[in-house]
Amino acid sequence: MKHILTTCIYCGCGCGLYLVSDGNKIIGSYPSKNHPVSRGSLCVKGWNCYEFINKRDRLTNPLIKINNTFQQAKWITALSLTADRLNEISHRYGPDSIAFLSSAKATNEENYLMMKLARAVFKTNNIDNCARLCHSPTVVGLASTFGSGAMTNTIEEFEDADVVLVTGSDTCAQHPLIGTRIIKAVLDKKTTLIVIDPRKNQLSKYATIYVSQKNGTDVAWINGMINIIISENLYSRDYVRERVEGFELLKRKVSEYTPEKVRAITSIPEDKLIEMAHIYAGAKKAMIVYSMGITQHITGVDNVQSLANLAMVTGHVGFLCTGVNPLRGQNNVQGACDMGALPDVFPGYQHVSDESARKKFEAIWNVVGLPGNPGLTAMEIMNRAETGQIKGLYIFGENPMLSDPDMNHVKKALENLEFLVVQDIFVSETAEFADVILAGSSFAEKNGTFTSTERRCQRVRKAIGCPGNSREDWKIICDVATHCGYNGMNYSNPSEIMDEITRVTPIYAGMGYDRLDPWGLLWPCPDNEHPGTKILHAGTFAKGKGTFMPRGYKPPDELPDSEYNFILTTGRIYFHWHTGTMTRRTSVLEREFPECLVEINPENAKELALRSGGLVKVTSRRGFIEAKVSITENIPKNSIFIPFHFMEAAANILTNPALDPIAMIPEYKVCAVKVEKL
Amino acid sequence: MRHDPLKKKTIKKIFKVDIKELLREVSHEWDIYLPQKKIGGDVWFEQVPKAGKDFEDALMEMTLEDVDTVVSPKEIFFPQLEPLFDFNEGNIIEIAGSSPKFLLGVKPCDLQGILFADEFFSRNVKDFYYGNRIKDRFIITIGCLQPPRPDACFCTSAHTGPFAEKGYNLQFVDTGDAYLVEVGSEKGREFLVRFDSFFIDVQDTAAQNIEQIKSKASESIQLKLDFEKAISLMRSKDTVPEEIYRRTGERCIYCGGCLYVCPSCTCFNVFDDAKGGQGTRFRNWDACVFSGYTREASGNNPRHEKWLRTLRRYEHKLKHDCEISGISGCVGCGRCLSSCPVNIGMSSFIREITGEKNEK
Repeated sequence: MKHILTTCIYCGCGCGLYLVSDGNKIIGSYPSKNHPVSRGSLCVKGWNCYEFINKRDRLTNPLIKINNTFQQAKWITALSLTADRLNEISHRYGPDSIAFLSSAKATNEENYLMMKLARAVFKTNNIDNCARLCHSPTVVGLASTFGSGAMTNTIEEFEDADVVLVTGSDTCAQHPLIGTRIIKAVLDKKTTLIVIDPRKNQLSKYATIYVSQKNGTDVAWINGMINIIISENLYSRDYVRERVEGFELLKRKVSEYTPEKVRAITSIPEDKLIEMAHIYAGAKKAMIVYSMGITQHITGVDNVQSLANLAMVTGHVGFLCTGVNPLRGQNNVQGACDMGALPDVFPGYQHVSDESARKKFEAIWNVVGLPGNPGLTAMEIMNRAETGQIKGLYIFGENPMLSDPDMNHVKKALENLEFLVVQDIFVSETAEFADVILAGSSFAEKNGTFTSTERRCQRVRKAIGCPGNSREDWKIICDVATHCGYNGMNYSNPSEIMDEITRVTPIYAGMGYDRLDPWGLLWPCPDNEHPGTKILHAGTFAKGKGTFMPRGYKPPDELPDSEYNFILTTGRIYFHWHTGTMTRRTSVLEREFPECLVEINPENAKELALRSGGLVKVTSRRGFIEAKVSITENIPKNSIFIPFHFMEAAANILTNPALDPIAMIPEYKVCAVKVEKL
Repeated sequence: MRHDPLKKKTIKKIFKVDIKELLREVSHEWDIYLPQKKIGGDVWFEQVPKAGKDFEDALMEMTLEDVDTVVSPKEIFFPQLEPLFDFNEGNIIEIAGSSPKFLLGVKPCDLQGILFADEFFSRNVKDFYYGNRIKDRFIITIGCLQPPRPDACFCTSAHTGPFAEKGYNLQFVDTGDAYLVEVGSEKGREFLVRFDSFFIDVQDTAAQNIEQIKSKASESIQLKLDFEKAISLMRSKDTVPEEIYRRTGERCIYCGGCLYVCPSCTCFNVFDDAKGGQGTRFRNWDACVFSGYTREASGNNPRHEKWLRTLRRYEHKLKHDCEISGISGCVGCGRCLSSCPVNIGMSSFIREITGEKNEK
């Protein structure tokens, strides 16, 4: 039996993990003792990630849909069909009639290849990944304020911060090895914790200040804090003068947000707001942590920019144990974005509209005519699939049927496509709609790299062979390209793909495999001698001077009314991962949380005469689901929380596809529903 | 059971430089498991390939000094995921095999865990699969001169180390350039005879030398607990305040890690992975801190609240195991603390209930 060092497949913590192999199959998963994040620990998902890998219902052959049923096919047939159909559609309706959804779970190398396939082979910028649904406001919001859209500091710094302000993140459930670091720091009496979240969670129990704000009112309380900090002269004068522009505009904007006004909008008591402002501004080492509670709103970009404003006005960017720290969800969503699986940028965030960037890639890829107009985002792709402008779609390692908002609309969109190819390891709910299913590989079966939330690009190592006739994902994408007549994807191994990436991506320039042992490197890593970068924006911001982006409060798109009188907020729970393709095939995890539970406040439960485990029907303007309730004080009155992992009670049947106008992220965190006892 | 220094025990010696050659000989007959140091410094017990280049490479990775594995070598006999048998349209196809296993470098605390598991898996029903895996097994323990997890391990308090008193075939005592070899069983004695070219006779002072080394090693264990007091508190009714369990349980994030890494944890879950009429029955590691561990089909759960599960975990190790098998389930290895993301560990729990001060 062998122990192979790799990186965990689940969240953005990027824990070092050993897969145990008996030579043929995976029989265990253990933490690395010396890895800087795992340090001998894992969460329950990491400890059990061995199990889904060799399940019998793994896709072991490509499948082609004939007469409405899937039949096993030879690789050459499936690949030619894929290439032919996509080419046909592209020629008939134009290159922008097809689109690509890349996988935030796949390796950097694979994301690079998908992006290269879309651009070099199919001449379209219609490529996106699920970051659209989670941290797209971060990428946009922090790029506009700081010049770079990534976590500014590192995970180990949470252990030594004076103050940690966590908002919109159920950290212990979603990033357990970060949440627990914060708990330890609080228990060690090192750290003061502030938690702002409508819903109580494991972390809020340890907070010095916990406030439950009204859902979607974040710009108001953040402006409120900045207002107090500026008017009481607690802001960092020198820092603001030397490093940031736009202070006067900020000062004017936030002056409207008095503590009284903030309370009226957010329901946060004045004294708490003042205390939060004092604590955050008064500390030298203060870190902001945020996740979906900030981004998944129609004001997602505004929310992120407001947090950036708060950090800049107090001089908390560019130093140890400070910064703005978005917790990237997927194991490689950071990498998928870094690799340019986005409609408007090449790898390394070089814009497609930049002619010199296009020329550079045309030279490397040996093509001409790379498109310069940004392509469509994931939500636009789905919308246009429904209306018929997108006719062909290649979905890789993603399950939009369960993860996109407004499931009934997604269903129509997928049904309306002329050609859908899905590359995955199991037949997901999305794959059911495919014309061709390409049997891909799990993280145990390929070499590559993942980039975690702290910008750590680290190795993923092949531990076993692909089951049956399934293939390594990077090989499949290369084969599709070859079947399209393109000969620029002849790599013998993922290391060669990374070598190409290092040549075209300045922030990854020093990331060749020979430099990544044992624990990877943090980007930017601009050359082969560079040790990686721990803290961003030290000295200057990535774009030189930071820019304050003052924003005003705007309410969510769909608030409760007399008919739909509850706020629905959706999210994740500890035991399951996203659409459940992996965790619902894991015995212990499925046993711990086998079905969807709607969290409801005891007062509401009493009004509805509900008992624990009682059945309810939850209806929104988009559809309805039926599920059992879990009665808890954690969710405020007149709100409910539904985890989105369960197909049989899919929360996204209910959610509102209203989008942030810049980041195009759906407002998963707020919509209006009614709840009826069944 | 105290070691009687006056009793004559067979002692031999082997030079460290000869170990690799010994292993080459042994590899003809046994599957060898050695502590291997990986990139970044992590150490695992791994099966070494049969003779050839891969075997030599594995010997290069071997470490007998720096052995701190996150998971104890129980994984060799009780893997995290174990296929039990295949089935096909109602027919059972046995797939479990066995091979003679040779382990070099097992720590005394881990040996205690293995012995505990041996007893568990033969207690009422002889577990066929476990029994297969331990057949023709040969274990050489190497005592610790320094604690591998100085903040966490407490073998002297749990009376499981830093050297084993029984249960091993051979025990190596590190003297610098060599190991003094203690015999623990008839099989151990036979081994010394079979491979006598590697094992040298020793002088009469060897026994005394061993005592000195063991004594010094015991002194190096900094973490000391009143283990007996803890056990007697746990075994007497209602002496441990509920509040201690509540406080600890609240912090727990239910990763299962403490029990997965524990050398004496043997709980497992059984499940089938089937498609059509064909499938495989597996067992995998389970942990008593999980809610689902006792959740009934009705949804009722006698351990519904978190603190009750924390209580269960500690009672298993310090109370029930003692009552059933006469020895405590806790072997004092400290891995539960080392692998806990929120710093809950057996040592801090013991200190709390015995009234000794904890740092935090």
